[in-house]
Order: sequence, then C-alpha cells, then structure tokens
Amino acid sequence: MALFILRRLALMVPMLLGASLVIFLVLRLGPSDPALDYLRLSRLPPTPQAVEAARELLGLDRPILVQYLDWLWSALHLDFGVSYALQRPVLPDLLHYLPATLQLAGFALLLTLAISVPLGIWAARHRDGLPDNAVRVVAFLGVSMPNFWLGFLLIFLFSVELGWLPAMGKGGLSHIVMPAIAISLMSLAINARLLRASMLEVAGQRHVTYARLRGLSDRKVERSHILRNALLPIVTATGMHVGELIGGTLIIESIFGWPGVGRYAVSAVFNRDYPVVQCFTLLMVAIFVLCNLVVDIAYAYADPRIRLSGEGTR
Amino acid sequence: MRLALSLALAIGLLSGSATVTSALERLNFSWPVNVGPLNPHLYTPNQMFAQSMVYEPLVRYGKDGTLEPWLAESWEVSGDGRAYTFHLRQGVTFSNGETFDAEAVVANFEAILANRERHAWLELANQIEKAEALDDHRVRLTLKDSYYPVLEELALPRPFRFVAPSQFVDGGTMDGIAAPIGTGPFVLAETRLGEHDLFRRNETYWGKAPALDEVDVKVIPDPNSRAIALQTGEIDLIYGADGPISPDSFKRFEAMDGYVTALSPPYETRTFALNTNRGPTRDIAVRKAINHAVDKDTMISAVLSGTHERADTLFEPGVPYADIGLKPYAFDPVLAERLLDEAGWTRQDGGTRSRDGEPLRIELCFTGNDAVLKSMAEIVQADLARIGIAVELVGEEESSVYARQRDGRFGMIFNTTWGKLYDPHAFLSAMRVPAHADYQAQLGLDDKAEIDGKIGKVLVTRNEEERRALYREIITRLHDAAVYLPLVYTNAMLVARPGLGKVPFGALSSEVPFEAIEPGDL
Repeated sequence: MALFILRRLALMVPMLLGASLVIFLVLRLGPSDPALDYLRLSRLPPTPQAVEAARELLGLDRPILVQYLDWLWSALHLDFGVSYALQRPVLPDLLHYLPATLQLAGFALLLTLAISVPLGIWAARHRDGLPDNAVRVVAFLGVSMPNFWLGFLLIFLFSVELGWLPAMGKGGLSHIVMPAIAISLMSLAINARLLRASMLEVAGQRHVTYARLRGLSDRKVERSHILRNALLPIVTATGMHVGELIGGTLIIESIFGWPGVGRYAVSAVFNRDYPVVQCFTLLMVAIFVLCNLVVDIAYAYADPRIRLSGEGTR
Repeated sequence: MRLALSLALAIGLLSGSATVTSALERLNFSWPVNVGPLNPHLYTPNQMFAQSMVYEPLVRYGKDGTLEPWLAESWEVSGDGRAYTFHLRQGVTFSNGETFDAEAVVANFEAILANRERHAWLELANQIEKAEALDDHRVRLTLKDSYYPVLEELALPRPFRFVAPSQFVDGGTMDGIAAPIGTGPFVLAETRLGEHDLFRRNETYWGKAPALDEVDVKVIPDPNSRAIALQTGEIDLIYGADGPISPDSFKRFEAMDGYVTALSPPYETRTFALNTNRGPTRDIAVRKAINHAVDKDTMISAVLSGTHERADTLFEPGVPYADIGLKPYAFDPVLAERLLDEAGWTRQDGGTRSRDGEPLRIELCFTGNDAVLKSMAEIVQADLARIGIAVELVGEEESSVYARQRDGRFGMIFNTTWGKLYDPHAFLSAMRVPAHADYQAQLGLDDKAEIDGKIGKVLVTRNEEERRALYREIITRLHDAAVYLPLVYTNAMLVARPGLGKVPFGALSSEVPFEAIEPGDL
C-alpha cells in the first residue's frame, strides 16, 4: 500500500510538468499580446518604446521554450512572478486567499456526503415510493438550478425575509451554511441518485440473495452486503465532485463576499494576468490530482480486489 | 413601586451609557476590491476614492466647479505662464506628525517625476521642468511651456498628491511606499485582503474634522450582493459612478420606504466613436444617419431605468469651453434614411443597404461581460436595422477591446470622456495619441493633422479669447463631422440608509465625500 501511494505521488511530477507546459503554451496561443496586456494592466501608455521595454522586461523577445524554462526554474524556487495588475508577488497572495476557498469547498464536500448518502439509501429502500420520488425532485432541481441563482434565493429567504443568517462575509458556521448549500446541491443530487441506482443494482446480485437465504437481517444485508459494494462508484464520483465544488466556490464566493481565491483568479483570467493564471491553474491541478489520489487510495482500501491484485502482480 | 422606579432608572442609565459607548460613528461602505497599498503616485490597484481620503492636493476642485486653495493657500503665475509659485498652508502635518512643508512637496514632485514615463498620459507630468523650494513655505514649479491647465491637473486625485517623505522606499515612491501617511481627513487603519479596509478619522487633521469616526470598506465584488448588503444592514451606503448596483436595483430602492436615493449631476459622456477611417462609417452621411437613427430616450428608459440623462454632444454644456450652442442631431429616422438614400446607399425589400456592392455593415465593439453595455449595443443594433444598417455586435474581453481601440479595428466602439478636470483639455490632448480610439476614429478626416495642431495650440495659448475660439473650432469640427454618437451622461448613484443624514455628491466622480457626511443615527 505504501509503495502504491509512493508510486502515485512520483507520478504527480511528470503530470504537473506536463500541465504547466500546456497552461503556459495555451495562454500564449490567444490573440492578444502579453506586453500590451502588461501595459494596460499597469496603466502605462502603449507607446512603441513602452511596448519594447515591456517585451524585454517580460522576456517575450526570447523563444517561447526558453521563456517556459525560465518560468519553470523560478517556479521550482517557489517564485511565480509578480501579478501584472496588482504588482504584488503571486504566490503569497494566492496562499492568502486559498485557505478560505478550500474551507468552503471542504465544508461543501462534507455536506454533499453527509446528505447524499442517507438520501440515496432512503430512496433505494423505498424504490418508486414517496421518498424515491422526493429525492428525484430534489435531484432534478439540484442538477438544473445554477448555483449562483440558488445562492441569491437562499439569501433572499434566510437573510432578507427571515433575517436568520448573515448574507455575506466570513465568520462562524452561520456564514458558511448558505454558500456551502448553494455549491453542493448539484453534487449532492448527483450522488444521491447514483447511490440509489448503485444500491438497486447490487441488491439484485446473487451474493445478496445468498445473504438473505443465510437468514441475515435486512439491516445487516443492507449494511454489509449492499452498501459497501454500492459505495464504490460514489467514491469515484466524489473525486470528480471536488473539482466541481471548487469551481462552484469560485463563483459563489463573489456573491457571498467570501474572501477566497475566486475573485482574484477570475479577474486575472479576464485581465490576462499571466503570472496569476499560471500559478493558480497549476495549484488547482495539484489539488485535483491529490484529491484523486486520495480517492484511489480510499478505493483500494474499500475494495480488496484492487488492493490484492496490485500486490499479486508485484 | 420604589424598587420598580429605581430599576427603571437603572435601566435608563444603563441604556444611556450604552448609547454613549456606541457614539462611535462607523460608516459601513463597500467596494468591489481592496483599496490597494494607497501609493498616491501610482495607479491600479490603488483605488482613487481611497487615495482621495488619505492624500490631498495643492488646489482642490470645489463643488461649484472652481479651483480653490487647499494645501496651497495662494499662488502666483509668472508673466510668461511658465512658473507657478505656491504659498503652502502652514500648520499642516502628516498623520504621523511630520511637518508638511516645501521640502516635503518638492520631494513628492521629484518622486513623481522620477517615474515620468508612467505619468506621460498627463501632460503636466511632461511639462514640469523642475520643482524647487524657495523657503519653508513656498514652492515654485517651472514648466517647459506655458501650458494652461496646471491647476486642473494638480487637483486630480493622482498623481500630484503628497505622502510623508519618511515613507519613501529607495528614495522615491515608484517602487512602493512604507505606509500610506498623508495629510487627509482619514488614515488607513487596517487592511484584510479580500475582506475589508478600515479607515479612521485623522485626529490631527488641519481642516474641519470629519463627523465619522470610522469608515469600514467591505470587499463586495458583486453588485447584487451589494444591494442585498444594504438591505440586510451590512452596509449603510451605496455610492459610485461605475454602476455600484444595476439600474433596476436602484429603481427598486427608490420605490422602497426607508432609503434615500439620489443621482448626481453628469460627470462624463458615454459615446460611440465612429471610425472615419474604416468601413462604411468613412462616409459622413452614414455617420450622420447613425446619429439621427438611434432612439436614446427609449434606450435610457428601457436599459438604464431612466437613471441617466441623454447626451447630444461629446461634452455636456457644463464642461469648460463647451457651452457653444451646438445643434444636436435629433432623433429622426426618416431624415436618416433620406441621408443614406442621397449618399447612394440603396435598399431593397427592407434589407441591408449597399453601395457599389459594399454592404452597409458595421462592427460594434464592446466589453462582452458588461450587461448594460450589451443591452445598449443591442438597442443601437435594432434602431439601425430599421434604416437598413446591419450592425454586427462584437462583444469581447476587455483586453481585446483595448487592442481594437489601439489599432483602429472597429466600426463603432464604446468610448467615455474622462470627466471633470480632464474634459475638455486632457481628453482632447489624448486624441493626438495613436493608442486612443479617438485618434483612430478621426484618422479618416482630411484635416486630422490640422485638428491635432489646434489641440496642441489650445493647450499652451495664454490668450483666453484665442483659447475659447480654438476650443469652439475643434469641438464644432468634431461635432459636424459626426465622429461620435453621444449616448448618455454618466453620473454617480447613491442609496443610503436614512440615519445617514444628507450625503452630498463628490465634486469628482472618483471621490466619495465621507468627510462631509454628518450622520444622525446609524
């Protein structure tokens, strides 16, 4: 198992390298000139001399591969450059904003799991009954409602009309509840439906019938023989949801005045603030890859077939 | 009974003392981003409204549109218009106790001029040859030429304002400052990235002390969230010229009880620049037809909820030298069609017009993620389709729009004048710079060189009559050539909780006059 984790961690290095190269190149494929973007964001008049100076300053006069290696070398020393628009080093700012985003996304993930699993079990137990249909409606709404709209609806109900929860800012639990719900409803809906389907599928399999024949109680069958097997797809889906949740957080933050990385990153994208976009995207890739690694480990842990076959081949 | 009375008294006293402790007047405000490091001599990410809270100019632009003494009590201009001597106000200190004197002023000017290239867009930065201290309280600025709008540009929110020289980094300000220490009515007390910036009253302020103890500026990026924040009491005031909330949110507050709403007088003019050098807009008949064909009143009521005034000229008549009685291009689609017919743009079956095989098709460029601009562009598109002009909407990200302005790749493009103190002189001055949309749009005029020459002349002439005449000629020429389609005058929006008392508008669109707010009960 330890070797499995080590091997996967080692794989991250070429993955991040590849990602960084792609990000670097794709950004520069756009129609606009980084030197002009730099001048615009620094509020410098784009005279020919200024453009020339910016080109030299940013190293744009050199071949793109040299530029990349240069950037990579600095990045390896944790120097991701200075934001064109803010004139501040990128990494410290990103690391300042990121924890709030991860906190919100993490809470949303907990919420997703804590609600979707019971909902899925409930729906599967009462297939086509009232609970199943209720979950169906929630899922339908969850998947089709844009999260920012849900955010505003929540604010309207709980802050403006009822006055129960603060509409914005960061503080205690009362601040995080609404944005977390707004972000997680979609993942939650998908997860619940997925678990329901997966449980019904497993419930029809032979080992479950045998378990019942052995006289095990319904609860025991459900817990040990259906749920454990049915959870595997959920584990995989959760890995995917992490990306969704972080993506949702970037939008929702701006509505709830949550001091996360969203606004910083989104305005950098609009502004073509290359150093910020590069560093941010790379960080996101790293987080995403790490989450998937955790998912894979959890998977291996939950499913002996994966764990054991891995060891068998070695 | 006695017990009840004394209890009531005690409660009264308690609550009385409570109001005494809450007498700290804190105004909660919001802004889309943090205010930045507040370097008075640099631009983004420093926010102008906050720079204006902390730093002050030598002369200030007053409410009545005149330039009044501020950190300079008086000044003299030499006979040739090239030397300005300022007598500084005495007894002024920076908020850290440092004396504000001629030496500090000269140090600031030198710090600004060390970064001249960055301020080159502002002619005064190019014009100042040197700044010298004559004694402790007199400073002389020497110019290269008899440039006339010196006081106007000194009054701008940046860069000619003063930070305590002890805060310079590496002997200047271009690489940053240690801390934002100014002479203004407020000091920056705390900054939390992504959360808020807190300002406190400057207790050593030389002028009238602000009534507010604190101004807390919360970071709220989204306009709808800002409107909600006011409703839920997180903020007390919405104010700004850059659409702090959408026009319909403003209308909603207007209709609600318990909120004070107001719109400022016009600050700037929002126009389309029509390209005289590219496509069908090269033809003056097309440009005039466009001016006659757009129904601005409907645009204002439909898109802007009536929150703006219609603009018929590039500069509103209140702008210096601009009240010259220009005849507006009235909304008259029939006349517009006749102009096009006469110019040979023929139309079949109500389709798009064409002339010699060239279709009457125009690209309209705007920043695509701005919902209000997009709706305005769509209305123009619909109005022009009625007279047979096909408008292609090109909504792009800001950097692409900027690139188009710079190299003239547009038929029509959104363009806004620069507002008080800049209009007309600085805005006209920039028309001579190729990177500006105005330059590109005017490039097709036969007499562009002549117009630029006149602009150069009007900035340095010392004769008031000649200056007035030159402005009249330039502005009239641009109006007659229909280079612009003026749309609306922009203004500042204000929505306040009633306890705030009367909130005045700033003289400049970039200012929020916190120092003049005298709250009743927040």
